[in-house]
Amino acid sequence: MTLLFYSAGAIALIATLSVILSSNVVHALVYLIISLLSVAVIFFALGAPFAAMLEAIVYAGAIMVLFLFVMMMLNLGQATEDEERAWMQPSLWIGPGLLSGILLLLFVSTLLTHDVTLAPVEVSVRDISLLLFGPWLLAVELASMLLLAGLIAAYHLAKK
Amino acid sequence: MNSASQMLDALRPFLVYFALVIAIVVAMLALSWLLGQRQSRPAKDYPYESGIVSVGSAHFRISVHFYITAILFIIFDLEVVFLFAWAVAVRENGWAGFIEISIFIGILTVALLYLWRIGALDWRTQTQRRQLHSLQGPGGVTNIAPETGGRS
Repeated sequence: MTLLFYSAGAIALIATLSVILSSNVVHALVYLIISLLSVAVIFFALGAPFAAMLEAIVYAGAIMVLFLFVMMMLNLGQATEDEERAWMQPSLWIGPGLLSGILLLLFVSTLLTHDVTLAPVEVSVRDISLLLFGPWLLAVELASMLLLAGLIAAYHLAKK
Repeated sequence: MNSASQMLDALRPFLVYFALVIAIVVAMLALSWLLGQRQSRPAKDYPYESGIVSVGSAHFRISVHFYITAILFIIFDLEVVFLFAWAVAVRENGWAGFIEISIFIGILTVALLYLWRIGALDWRTQTQRRQLHSLQGPGGVTNIAPETGGRS
């Protein structure tokens, strides 16, 4: 499991870096799918198979398909690729880079100074199911209402 | 370690499946590489247009009209997640869970019916919708263009 965790983490890092660096939008999206799938493997290795399944079905399956769909519809050509490449200059990425660097520093310092136990706790899909349809029955009902509102709103907002 | 060999045992069907998938993909690629023709002529990469050299670029933007269908797909996909969570423990959830999931599916069926009635699943453009009318034929519904001056 440790090997699985580290190899999936390495793949996630490489794929995410490729998303940022590739200038072709469709290539970047394919890398993003790989990144999300490897994050799903990380969730699985940490003992959260339900989260892994969600990641694979919803993020990699549905949302990435939507992204790819739209990108192919927009039919961006060579001009966009050149534009992307031109945007890859320090003056544009230094700001977000610095801010993410601060976040990383905070995270690492917290890990070093505080005593954090990272022992994975196995939460099976069955446990989640029993919780969802036991004490959290009403939350599932509310979720269905939310999905209903989302469906109708998505149509009417995207219409015009 | 005992649990490692147990886990390997549990994974065996998955590994066989994985190997079969790889074998099929490799076989398809290898066969098409072996049997396919490889030519490179100056006109090879030209799109065929009745012998006429094509003019202009194929990079035009298509309407993002179909986008709505994809958004609706995502929301119904989220519904599947709840269904999956319910299905792995059908017996443990009992009748309360069954009634719960029935109401859940009921609400989303209402949403589907509403979207169907207002024509959200119809991805024709406004012009196409005006120009074509549906005709009940022997093989189902066909959309045909009306004759000039006919009903629209």
